[in-house]
Amino acid sequence: MMSTSLFARRAAFVSLFGLLAIAAQAPLHAAANGQSMGFVVTTWNIASYETRFVDECPEGLNVGYDEYWWRSLSKPDRARYTDNGLKSRLERYFNAIRRGPNGEDVCMNPTVVKDPPHRLVESEKAYGMDLDGKDGVTAGRSCPHKEFTGIDGTKGVDNQLYRLLGCVYGFRSYGQFEANENENRKSNGKGMTLIEITGVDNPRNDPEVTVNFYRSIDLYTLDGSGRFLPHGSYRIDTYGGKPRYASQVRGKIVNGVLITEPGDVNLPFYGNYTYQNRLFRDLRMRMTLSKDGDSAEGTAAAYFDLDELMFYIGGLGPIQSTAISNCPSIYVAAHEIADGYPDPKTGECTALSSAFVFKAVSAFVVHDGAAGTMSAGQGWWQRVKEWFR
Amino acid sequence: MSRVRGVALLALALSFGILAACGGGTPATRGAEPGMRLLTEPQYRRIIADIFGEQITIGGTFDPLVRTNGLLTVGSSDAHITPAGLEQLDRMARSIAAQVTSEENRDFLIPCAPADALSPDPQCARLFFRDTGRLLYRRPLSKDELDAAVAVADAATTELGSFHEGLAAGLAGMLISPSFLFVIEEVEPDPDREGAVRLDAYAKAARLSFFLWGTSPDDELLRVAESGELHAPRMMKKQVDRLLDSPRLEQGLRLFFDDMLNFENIARLEKDAIIYPAFSTAVANDAREQTLRTMMDVVLRQDGDYRDVFTTRKTFLSGPLGRIYRVPVSRPDGGWMEYEFPEGDPRVGIATHISFTALHSHAGRSSPTLRGKAIREILLCQRVPDPPGTVDFSKFNDPQSPAHTARERLTVHSIEPACAGCHKLTDPVGLGMEHIDGAGQLRTSEEGYPIDATGELDGFDFKDVAGIGPALRENPAAPACLVNRLYSYATARTPVRNERKYLKHLEHRFEDDGFKVRALLREIALGEAMYAVRQPAARTAAVNGSPRGKS
Repeated sequence: MMSTSLFARRAAFVSLFGLLAIAAQAPLHAAANGQSMGFVVTTWNIASYETRFVDECPEGLNVGYDEYWWRSLSKPDRARYTDNGLKSRLERYFNAIRRGPNGEDVCMNPTVVKDPPHRLVESEKAYGMDLDGKDGVTAGRSCPHKEFTGIDGTKGVDNQLYRLLGCVYGFRSYGQFEANENENRKSNGKGMTLIEITGVDNPRNDPEVTVNFYRSIDLYTLDGSGRFLPHGSYRIDTYGGKPRYASQVRGKIVNGVLITEPGDVNLPFYGNYTYQNRLFRDLRMRMTLSKDGDSAEGTAAAYFDLDELMFYIGGLGPIQSTAISNCPSIYVAAHEIADGYPDPKTGECTALSSAFVFKAVSAFVVHDGAAGTMSAGQGWWQRVKEWFR
Repeated sequence: MSRVRGVALLALALSFGILAACGGGTPATRGAEPGMRLLTEPQYRRIIADIFGEQITIGGTFDPLVRTNGLLTVGSSDAHITPAGLEQLDRMARSIAAQVTSEENRDFLIPCAPADALSPDPQCARLFFRDTGRLLYRRPLSKDELDAAVAVADAATTELGSFHEGLAAGLAGMLISPSFLFVIEEVEPDPDREGAVRLDAYAKAARLSFFLWGTSPDDELLRVAESGELHAPRMMKKQVDRLLDSPRLEQGLRLFFDDMLNFENIARLEKDAIIYPAFSTAVANDAREQTLRTMMDVVLRQDGDYRDVFTTRKTFLSGPLGRIYRVPVSRPDGGWMEYEFPEGDPRVGIATHISFTALHSHAGRSSPTLRGKAIREILLCQRVPDPPGTVDFSKFNDPQSPAHTARERLTVHSIEPACAGCHKLTDPVGLGMEHIDGAGQLRTSEEGYPIDATGELDGFDFKDVAGIGPALRENPAAPACLVNRLYSYATARTPVRNERKYLKHLEHRFEDDGFKVRALLREIALGEAMYAVRQPAARTAAVNGSPRGKS
């Protein structure tokens, strides 16, 4: 007998109900018969451990490319480029980004200049998970690197993405890059991620479930204040009748926490004018389901492809100025501290261990959006009664 | 009427009554005085769309009507236009006229082109006003009316230097005319009953058209009215069947149910956004549409038993509704889908729809009392007295009250003698619907306390909200209520004493026909009772000859 009230337990299953019959996509390795739970990711951020006085960055935050450009100018040049200082910073960005020796855009060509070293996170602590070998799955897939201790004391936490970007203002919590990604998705519906857990026999404890990831083609359902509403319906993106994103991993639910096994997962991304189909290798996830079932939040850790990361950062271009970021130094540092998936020929690692925190609200994942009718099979009300009988 | 003749007629009527009773015939009625009523706003909008097309946008609103015998349509017989309301109507008329005569619309809405677009063209104006005026006034214009409209158009054209602007001035005048805004029923001597009167053919056509289509008579109906053929039973039957077979029957029936279910209140339904964040204007509007679609499906497309609207699990859902019902929808970006709530789900029938449960709730909580009152008054045509002026709400609203659920709070009413009488009518029904909150969402507890959702309606006990539908379906007052409301809607008045037997007869016919609404509509529309009128006390002069159509 569970300790939660009937109401809370009932509500916890709200998102389960009505999904089963519409889940037309047969899981590759579906768990035993069971129900489904759907969620739409509302925010997704780099898991950045930040102290009150920025102790993790003892030399301070990084300098932006605009600053490097400004430092490189003589006094007459400063006057010339800025109309004697009359131009606003924003108007200078487009000159600043082209500070290569031949006017190259240094984000598109990060190796044409040699900037001072990037300031890395020097904290001992970080969010994240042990990705490189203790579980045997990723053994032999990493390069030497310094590991963190988890916030909860876990040893061997790998999060080189945090080490790389944790001292860049724009990538810290509420930094411009991170805020833009979430706000862009909220306003235009691009990069919408759906998480569907299938084969759920017990939403609080289930030893075997399947976790599916999709992209949604529908916008968030919001209330009048712009807050995310649970129980919206979201159609998945399909191409040729098949889901365009359909990664799948195994998992289990322990005391209301979904824990997945490592698996490669493709997730849609849109932010700061860049589209990406991001591959997260060896992704594992811990997602806590709220007791009322209306929401969830968790951490995902994975190896993040280095080229994809630099494509994104390079594409940020002039925005990096307001986010106080500098592509060339990030590029160099990223290659130096990459810790995952060594290239078989060069031995150089091609991915960064990473961790992300995310939030989600319950959602109905609609697999066949073209249908004009829909049957929910047994309604959630009936299942509530059965489950809590 | 002389005393002797009156006695003779009474004897004749009695003998007919006896015959009717023996043979199961239709009880005779004497009807009421002919009516004069203001168009309701939905009727106004429907008429404009029917005559000029859906592309005409109509801003503004009508003065509110007083709901009478459960219907705003009946209240329209006792309506008046305030100065502010007249201003609204005038603005609407000018706007509509401008759109009708605009460059985009004039080619297909005006049957002729002026010889000179900058000068008066009385011939073209006359042609337009003759045809359009006939549809607007629901009868041919008299020569004086037509001359006046043309004169206004000509004068305005001369003043404004534009034929079409002049035409718009004349049309606006028609749209603000009492002949358009009021349905004025005229009578004429009844050739079959000496000294008695009957509705003239145009009035009959209007009653029939507003009843079945919710709009003015169309060209064909006006034509048979003009020829007088509509008085012939065979022609009346032909026209009734034509109207019943038309797709426009649905639009008419939607207007009726919209009126009966008090759905005009949905347009101003507000919920506390903190308590019910998922509720929105879109939800409210779609909830209204959901219930109307559901009812049309049962009573028209399936031609099913009217009582099934209380127990059907089949309905239609949109994206906003899916969030409240917690049901996946196939088109979250818009559009509707058919949906059937599964067995075991408490959503059974229209009384469990958002349009009913949220409408009859407070902004931040449910209301068993409002719901019980609505069940009785709207769906069963029963009267629940208003609360006494001295009622003390402080006990019920006491924030320090230890009561957690509505049932506990309402206990106060059941022990207060001044409240108990009425609350015994409403609360046992409404408390049975407490598994649905004030926004129409399912729940099992309130403030963390389990809800006892047992209910009772006229001896029918049920254990939760799923039982309200069967309780309504088995209640004989439900179909009787529909009969009463439909007849009231058809005549735009409260049934009078001499129609009681006829209404009872209609109830039996409704039952015999398997509670099929289409059959009931036909029965009413073909019955003489719907058109029966008595000599109007103040309008005796009209009996001696209707002024209509004298051209």
